[in-house]
Amino acid sequence: MPDALITPELLRRLEQFQLLAARRAKSSAKGERRSRARGQSVEFADYRTYVHGDDFRYLDWNLYGRLDRLFLKLYEEERERPVRMFLDASESMTFGEPRKFDFARQVAAAIGYVALSGFDRVSVNPFPDLVNGPESDPAARTMELAARGALRSVRGKKSALQFFQNLGALTAGGSANLNQALRRGALEARRAGLAVVISDFLDPEGYEAGLTALVGRGFQVDLVQILAPDELSPTTFGDLNLVDSETGAHQEVTFGRFRLKAYRQTVQNFVQRLREYCQARGINFFTASSNTDLQDLLLKQLRKAEVWG
Amino acid sequence: MHFLAPLAFLFAASIPVVIVFYLLKRKRVVKLVSSTLLWRKYLAETQASAPFQKLRKNWLLILQIILLALVVFALARPYFATKAKPAQLRVVILDASASMQATDETPSRFEKARAEALKWVDGLAGNDQMVVLQAGANTEVKQSATTEKAALRRAFQACVCSDGPTRLVPALKMAESLVRDLDPRTNPEIHLFSDGAVPELNEFENKALPLVFHRVGKDANNVGITALDARSNPEDARQRAIYASIANFSTNSQQTEVELLFDDRLLETRSITIAATETSPQVFLAAQPRDGVFTVRLTAKDDLAVDNQASIVSLLPKPVKALLVSRGNRLLERALRAVPNVELAVATDLTDPATGFDFVVLDGVTPTVWPGGNVLAIHVVNTNWVQGVTQVESPPIVDWKSAHPLLRYAGFDNVQVMQSLSAKTPTWATSLVEAPQAPLMFAGELGRQRIIWIGFDTLESNWPLRVSYPIFVANAVEWLNPANARSGQLLVKAGDPFRLALTEPAASAQVTLPGGAAKSLTLDPSASELVFGDTLKQGTYKVRLGTNDTVFCVNLLDAAESNIKPHEAVELGKYTKVTATTKHRANMELWRTIAAIGLLVLLFEWWYYHRRTV
Repeated sequence: MPDALITPELLRRLEQFQLLAARRAKSSAKGERRSRARGQSVEFADYRTYVHGDDFRYLDWNLYGRLDRLFLKLYEEERERPVRMFLDASESMTFGEPRKFDFARQVAAAIGYVALSGFDRVSVNPFPDLVNGPESDPAARTMELAARGALRSVRGKKSALQFFQNLGALTAGGSANLNQALRRGALEARRAGLAVVISDFLDPEGYEAGLTALVGRGFQVDLVQILAPDELSPTTFGDLNLVDSETGAHQEVTFGRFRLKAYRQTVQNFVQRLREYCQARGINFFTASSNTDLQDLLLKQLRKAEVWG
Repeated sequence: MHFLAPLAFLFAASIPVVIVFYLLKRKRVVKLVSSTLLWRKYLAETQASAPFQKLRKNWLLILQIILLALVVFALARPYFATKAKPAQLRVVILDASASMQATDETPSRFEKARAEALKWVDGLAGNDQMVVLQAGANTEVKQSATTEKAALRRAFQACVCSDGPTRLVPALKMAESLVRDLDPRTNPEIHLFSDGAVPELNEFENKALPLVFHRVGKDANNVGITALDARSNPEDARQRAIYASIANFSTNSQQTEVELLFDDRLLETRSITIAATETSPQVFLAAQPRDGVFTVRLTAKDDLAVDNQASIVSLLPKPVKALLVSRGNRLLERALRAVPNVELAVATDLTDPATGFDFVVLDGVTPTVWPGGNVLAIHVVNTNWVQGVTQVESPPIVDWKSAHPLLRYAGFDNVQVMQSLSAKTPTWATSLVEAPQAPLMFAGELGRQRIIWIGFDTLESNWPLRVSYPIFVANAVEWLNPANARSGQLLVKAGDPFRLALTEPAASAQVTLPGGAAKSLTLDPSASELVFGDTLKQGTYKVRLGTNDTVFCVNLLDAAESNIKPHEAVELGKYTKVTATTKHRANMELWRTIAAIGLLVLLFEWWYYHRRTV
């Protein structure tokens, strides 16, 4: 399954990257991220006066020789940083050629692999929850529930293969509520870390409340917006009866080539509004079409956007 | 506002039909999209729950209803019942004289004037009338008063520029008669499209002519032949002297080659340079083996080509046969014999019409039979010529017409007359020598007969002792010689009729025009002369009458016409002039504009529709 998501060659290239964190890790588990906590590592942090009961091993004997006073060397504690990915698995993500959802999984796999390589804990929150459709296969549903459960917490590079398999097992469908999913994720997290939201953000309810909840919880948020080529520049014209894939609402529209420019402007405005919202809140924002070259996106564009380095 | 066809409003019933079409549901293609979020802007326009909500702000429908309403409105033929404004009359005079052929305007002055005039036709208001007059050597009514623009355009297209001089007086008289009695409120106008090279128009000075002068022409670069004559060389009777006057009307000196041709054979070429606005007289001497046509041609490239060539028919001189009927007047007889080439016969009475002689001199003898040919009548009364003849004693000579060919170089200084017959100058004659009481001498042409009448007996005056006497006799011989008169008739100005006396009745004649085209004329068997009026083009014409051929030449030979300098104003007498208008006033009709706007609305509607769909 990993081959379907990401090639071994690309994986090797990704190993050299490290997710960039502007904030110190706050997790309690040990890891490789710098934290404000003091503990055992090779990174010197500060001195403090010796008090009774301190471990002699950390006394600075050179300093004692010069000052005749006992000082204890303190080291930074290196801790893990949880990476929480919110993956839009709604019906709208099944559109596009290639499918937006496939592209989103590939991006998620790449980010997850970089995080796992850095000994960070990765959790993937696909939303909406799996719907129990009348025609759905119970076995497949069980499989996917298991995969979703496994994706909630993954740690260690050795789990990468399993991580990819579980991502590959995910399916998209149903109507999503982005705000609700993000808000719930923010509440559930015991420790804030890096939150990566991968979605098309085409939610009639908006995205502001969810993102505000994440930022408020202390997450460093990265947004990856994925749009289908057909959404950026429609190819169907005439008198249309549009059916919304998620809500099922019918809308009549008369659309001609003369209006293509105005439509593109509408899309640009939508993306620009989202970008400005992110900039105002220190959120990394990135948008891509689902037909973008994955290697180019991961190795050049995301690096340039300082998602990793 | 009223309507001529109010029933047409029934067509308004079609407007609801258009609305119904809009209410009908369009068949739409069902398309599943990821989200309708990005389409909301376009959804808003067509979202409708109630049928009439659908029609709100539908510009396509509004445009179609406006168009349909306009069509119905037009079909109803609306009109305003107002007091009709009296129709305006415009008389357009198009100068078709030779100077209008000048090429300083492109392609020519005449074409420019025609184009300008056609613009005025376009600007003619609905019920305004226009008359088209073509003024060349003759005035032609090309179109009588009409409002029909197609006819007016046809009339202008039918106008042709001639080689003749401008004779504007008849055209203006005609135009004046057309506008004279019109209601002044109708504001009639006479529009003259010309270069302003027109003869004197003194008679219109006080007529308050509503004349608008549209000037055409820019430059005056022209060299032309303004006079041409062929005579015997006084020094060598075997040769002919061809006299040509060549004028330069441009503001620079001009160089040109002057060629002399006899029957299209080049005899001589000379190069001359003429200073600006100067005239150069040129005399060519050439032997002439037979009757023929001398042509003088200029090679200068100027704006007017028609005056660069002139032709003249030159007939070989023949002896003049003269008959002197006298009781004995040696002085007169000697004077007649002194004239070269005269064969004189003397008689004491005349009993036949003397058809064998070129002219008859009646010296104080009332003939039994009056001669049929030309006559010099001295102290003779013919009641057919003069009436109320009285006798005057010692009439003093107060004036004489030295410009007349008969009195050329013949003055009446110190001439005393003892007694003379005195009569009123007849209408056909010109008084030559005047006494306070009456003329002592007059000359003129009665029918085809040239007559010189002298009221006094020359032997009862001291005139024969004066040097002017033999000169007068020589002039009289030349004037009365029918051959000279005939050669004068063979030189016709363009536009003037050619007249030819018929010696015997003829039923038809054929005229060959300069271009080679032939024209057949049907003659009245009782006619005594042939009159041919189609002499608008210069060149050599040939008239075939039975087996006789007569050649005559048509020339411009008009200095006023050759002077193509455009005039700023047309002068009507000494104190009145009409300055060239610079305005190009024309009533532009709006219907074309309105139709264009209608078409644009239609195009916009089409575009709008397609913009919305595909």
